[in-house]
Amino acid sequence: MPSWKKDCPCSRANEFMKPAQFEYLRAASIAEAVAALSAQAGEGKIIAGGQSLVPMLNFRLLKPLLLIDIMGIAELKFLEETPGGGLRIGALTKHHTLETSPLVKRLFPVLSEAMSHVAHLAIRNRGTIGGSLSHADPAAELPLMAVLLDARIRTASPEGGRTIAAADLFVAALTTRLLESEIIVEVELPALAPATGWAFEEVSRRAGDFALAAVGVLLAVEKGKVSSASIAMMGVAETPLRAARAEALIKGRAIDASLLDELVTAVRDACEPNTDLHASADYRRHLVGVLARRAVIAAWKRALGEQP
Amino acid sequence: MQTRPKIIGTAAKRLEDPRLLTGHGSYVDDKTPAGTLHVAFRRSDQSHATILSIDCSEALKMPGVVAVLTARDLEGLVKPVVATSKMRDYHATPIYPLARDKVRYVGEPVVAIVAESRYLAEDALEGIAIEFDTLPNVVDPEQAAAPDAPLLHEDAGTNVIVRREFLRGDVDLAMAAAAIRVNRRFRFHRKTPMAIETRTYLAEYDQGRKSLQLHTTSQIPGIIRDVLTDILDLPTVRVVAPDVGGGFGGKASVYQEEILVCILARKLGRPVKWTGDRLEDLSSTSQGFDEIVEAELGLDEQGRILALTAEVVGDIGAYSIYPWTAGLEPVQVVSFLPGPYRVAHYRGRVRAVATSKPPTGPYRGVGRPTSTFVMERLMDMAAQKLGLDPREIRLLNFVSQEEFPYKTASGIVWDRSGFTECLTSACAAFDYEGQRAAQAVARAAGRWVGIGIASYAELTGIGSRISASPGMPINTGTETATLKIDSTGAVTAAFGVASHGQGLETTLAQVVAEELGARLAAVTIIHGDSAAVPHGTGTYASRSAVLAGGAATLAARALREKVERMSAHLLGVTAAEVMVADGFAFVPGSDKKISFRELAKAVYSEVGRIPAEARESLEETKLYDPFFGTTTCSTHVTQVEIDPETYVIKVQRYQVAEDCGRIINPLIVAGQVHGAVAQGIGAALFEEMVYDEMGQLLTASLVDYLVPTAVEIPSIGVSHLDTESPSTVGGFRGMGEGGTIGAPAAIANAVADALNHLNILIDELPVTPERIFQLIKNKEK
Repeated sequence: MPSWKKDCPCSRANEFMKPAQFEYLRAASIAEAVAALSAQAGEGKIIAGGQSLVPMLNFRLLKPLLLIDIMGIAELKFLEETPGGGLRIGALTKHHTLETSPLVKRLFPVLSEAMSHVAHLAIRNRGTIGGSLSHADPAAELPLMAVLLDARIRTASPEGGRTIAAADLFVAALTTRLLESEIIVEVELPALAPATGWAFEEVSRRAGDFALAAVGVLLAVEKGKVSSASIAMMGVAETPLRAARAEALIKGRAIDASLLDELVTAVRDACEPNTDLHASADYRRHLVGVLARRAVIAAWKRALGEQP
Repeated sequence: MQTRPKIIGTAAKRLEDPRLLTGHGSYVDDKTPAGTLHVAFRRSDQSHATILSIDCSEALKMPGVVAVLTARDLEGLVKPVVATSKMRDYHATPIYPLARDKVRYVGEPVVAIVAESRYLAEDALEGIAIEFDTLPNVVDPEQAAAPDAPLLHEDAGTNVIVRREFLRGDVDLAMAAAAIRVNRRFRFHRKTPMAIETRTYLAEYDQGRKSLQLHTTSQIPGIIRDVLTDILDLPTVRVVAPDVGGGFGGKASVYQEEILVCILARKLGRPVKWTGDRLEDLSSTSQGFDEIVEAELGLDEQGRILALTAEVVGDIGAYSIYPWTAGLEPVQVVSFLPGPYRVAHYRGRVRAVATSKPPTGPYRGVGRPTSTFVMERLMDMAAQKLGLDPREIRLLNFVSQEEFPYKTASGIVWDRSGFTECLTSACAAFDYEGQRAAQAVARAAGRWVGIGIASYAELTGIGSRISASPGMPINTGTETATLKIDSTGAVTAAFGVASHGQGLETTLAQVVAEELGARLAAVTIIHGDSAAVPHGTGTYASRSAVLAGGAATLAARALREKVERMSAHLLGVTAAEVMVADGFAFVPGSDKKISFRELAKAVYSEVGRIPAEARESLEETKLYDPFFGTTTCSTHVTQVEIDPETYVIKVQRYQVAEDCGRIINPLIVAGQVHGAVAQGIGAALFEEMVYDEMGQLLTASLVDYLVPTAVEIPSIGVSHLDTESPSTVGGFRGMGEGGTIGAPAAIANAVADALNHLNILIDELPVTPERIFQLIKNKEK
C-alpha cells in the first residue's frame, strides 16, 4: 500500500497550506465525531463543507489542534417529509439541495427562495445547514430561516444530545448555545398552515454577498385578515431576530397602507443594527423597514392566492 | 509586391486561449526548480512607526527555516531603488527590500523568512517579535500636506513629494467674466488593481556564470532587468514574465519582494520563490489613485467654456515608486483635465502627498479616470444650469476637425480624431432620443432612471518625445521587434512587450502574418523576456499595439523584401515579380511557387542554390518610435436605475463608441473595452480601499473589497470608429485602458441624472447605496 504522500497527484501541496498546523480525523459516525471533539476539550473543530471555517483557518484566526471531518457520516445525510408535512433535514444537507429540492419547494418555498441568495453556486454546493447554523453569521440566510420557521435543532453530545429551539440557539454574532462537544445533527421544520403566504427580501452589495439586510415573512390569512404572522430579519442585529411587535400588530387585521406604515416603524424599532464598511446602522434600519413592507405585501398577496 | 490586407482587421480567435483556458498556461508559480526555497514576509502591522528591535531567534529555531533576514542583513548587498525625475519640486524616496529603521505602511515587508517550504516559512512568522515605537499618523493627505505635519520621509523635508502647475491664459479674468460658473470638491477613493494572479517571483542564480534569472509576474520585464543589473551590480540578468494573469498597472512597478528573492538566490545559491497571497496583494501591491479635486468651470451664456481651474491633492501613499514616480497619477489628472474640449484659460495645480498607506502606482487609465470624472461632472452641472442637453453642451465645446492638431491648455497635442463622431455614434447606437423619452415615462411613474454621457480623449502609444510619466528619466517611447524565419521555415517574432491578458500573441501575429505574408497560425510570438530583444519596457499605457505593432510592421516589411530577393533567385525571376502570401513566395500567373520551408532550406542548408554573395539571413530587427504617439477618444453612454427605497443602483444599458484607429482584431478590441468598462463600473460603484484614521486596512479580503462580478455588469455595446488615420506606422491607436477612463464618469453622470429631482450632486466615487442614503438624509435635514 503506497503512502498517501506518494499517491498525491500534486507534489507541491505543502507549499500552499496557509493554516497553522493541525491533525485531521475523518469521522465515520456521529459517536466517533462527538468522542473526538470531547477528547480535544475545546481544541478540536468540526469541519463539514468548510466554507466559513477554511477561510478562518487560512487567516489563522482559528488554530484548532484537530479538525474532525464529518462529511463522510452517512447518518447526517437525509431530507424527508414528516407525517404532518414538516421536514427533517440532516445536518450535512447542502444549500444547493435546499435550493433545488422539489420537496422543499413544495413545503417551504420561502426556504428555497432564500437559499438562492446564499453566496455562489460553488459555495452552495459545499456549504451545509449544520455548518451554517453552528457558524451563526448574523448576515447568513439559514439562521434567519431557522428563526422564521421555528426550527428545532437536534444535537448530539457526550451526554446524548438535546433539542434546541432556533429562537434559543443564537446568542451573538458567531456565537451559539452549542456546548464545546455538541454537534448539530438534524434540523426539524414544523409544518406550515395550508396556503401560508410567504416572501423573502434581501439587499446585498453584489449578488451573493452577505446581506446588508433581509426579511422573511410567513402570513396565514383567514376571512380577509391575518390569522398568523412570522416576520424575521437579519443583518440588523447580532443575531437574526423575530419582529414580535410587528407580528402582533398585523394579526387579526387586513394589510393596508396605514398598517404597513405602522409595521415599518415596529420593525425598525425592533432592530439594533451595527455600522460596518458597507452600511451604516441608520441605513440598515431604513432598509429593513423597506424590505419588511415589500415582504409583507408579497406574502399577503400569496396568501390571498394572487401573484406577488 | 504588396498583397491585399486580409489578416489585420479580422476577428481571429485568440491564439493563446486554447493554452490558457485548458489549464496549460505556465505562470511563475507553476515553476519550482529542484531545491527551491520559499519566502514568507513578516509585514508591518503599524502604519507609521520606528522599529526599535526585531527578535528572530525563535523563528530561526523552527523546522525547515534556512534564514531570517532584516534590513540590517542586506546592507551592502543591494543599492536602494530610487525613482528619479527631472520634475522641479520633486523628492525621491529610496526603496529598500525590507523596511529600514522605520515602517511607513501596514503591509510593508519588515522580516523575510526563508524556509524549505512556504508552509514552514509561514509557521515561523509567529516566532518573530518586533518592537515598534509608534509615530504620528500621516493618513489624511490634506493634513499631511500642511507645513507642520509629521514627516514620513525626513530626508525629503516635506510630505509634498511633487508639486506642479499648468497655466494658460488669464484664467482669473476669464472666470470672473463667465456668465455661468460651476464648481465642486470631488473625491475619487483609493482602489487596487486586483489581478487574478497575485504577484509571484522566482529567482535563480547561476554561480558558475554569475548570472541571475528572475521569473516575474511583471508587465515590465525589460525595466526590471535594467534596474536589477544596476542595484545588484550584476553583469548579466535575464528577466522573464511568462504567462501573467492580469496586471491593470499593479504589476508595472519594481517591488521590494522582487528584489529580495534575487538577493537571496545569489546569497544562498538556491532558487528562491515568493508567491503573494490575496492579503499580501491587497496590502502591498501598488494601489490605484486616491484624489481630491476642487475644480471650477466657467462658461458663457451659450454654454461655451471660458475657463477651468483645478486644485488636486493626490494621496500617493508611502513611496514614490519606480520607475514612474509619484507624479505619474496626480500630475496627469491636471494635464488631462481639459479633456477633448476647447479650453482657452486654464490653471491646474497639483500636489502629490505622501501618506502612510501602500504606494499608489499605475492603475488602468492613469490620471484620466479622475480627470474625466471631474470634467464630465462639471459639464453636466453646467448643462443643467444652462438648460442644455448633456449631449449638446459637449458638441458645442469639442475641439473640431478644423482645429486639429490642437494643443490643449496643459500642452498635450490632440492629433486628428473623432471626438464628435464618437459622441454621435454612441448616442445613435444607444438610441439616445428614444431612451430619453423612455426615461421621462419612467420618471413620471416614480422610477429613478438616469442617463449619463462621458467623453474623453487620451494619449496612447506615446513615443520618445513624451515621457510616460512626467520627468521620468527612462525611455518608454520605443519598442523593438526581431523577426526570424529559421531553417525549418518557422516564423518567430520577438518583442520587448509583455502580454498579460491583452491577446498580443494574436494581434502581433496578425500584424506579422499580414505584413510578411505568413500564415497566422505559423507565427510564434515571443514576449515578456528581456533576453528576446536588446531593449523593451513592456506592456502598459495603451502602447503595445502602437509601438510593438509598428516595430512588427517595419521588421516584417523588411523581412518580406529579403524573402522576395531570396525567392527571386530560386524562382528565376526578379524580386519585383515575387509576391509573398500565406507562407509562400510565388509569381502570380505562373506555377512558380516556393514555401517558406523550402526557401529556408535553400537559404540555410542547400548551400549553392543561392549565390554565396547574395545569401542573406532571414532575419530583421527594427526599432519603432512614434515620437509623440497618438490620440484615442471615446464616448460612453449609460442608463442606470436606482431603487427609490433601497438606493440599490443597477446599470442597465451601456454603449461605447471608440476610435482606436485601424483595428487589428475587433474581437480583442471589444474584449478590452468590455473588461475595462467592467473595471470602471467597479471603480464607480463598488471598489474602495478603506484605511482607518490609524492607517489600518479595513478592506483586507475580497469579502470587503468588492470587485464587480458578471451579475453586476450589463451587456456592453461597442461601436468601432476609424475616423482618421493617425500618424503611427500601421495606423493603430492604443485602446487598452479606455473603458476604465470613461465608465466612472458616465456612471456618475447617470446616477446624478437619476437623482436630479432631489437636487443631489454626485461628487464622490464609488457611489454606493449607503452614500446615496446619506446624501438624501443630509438633504432632508
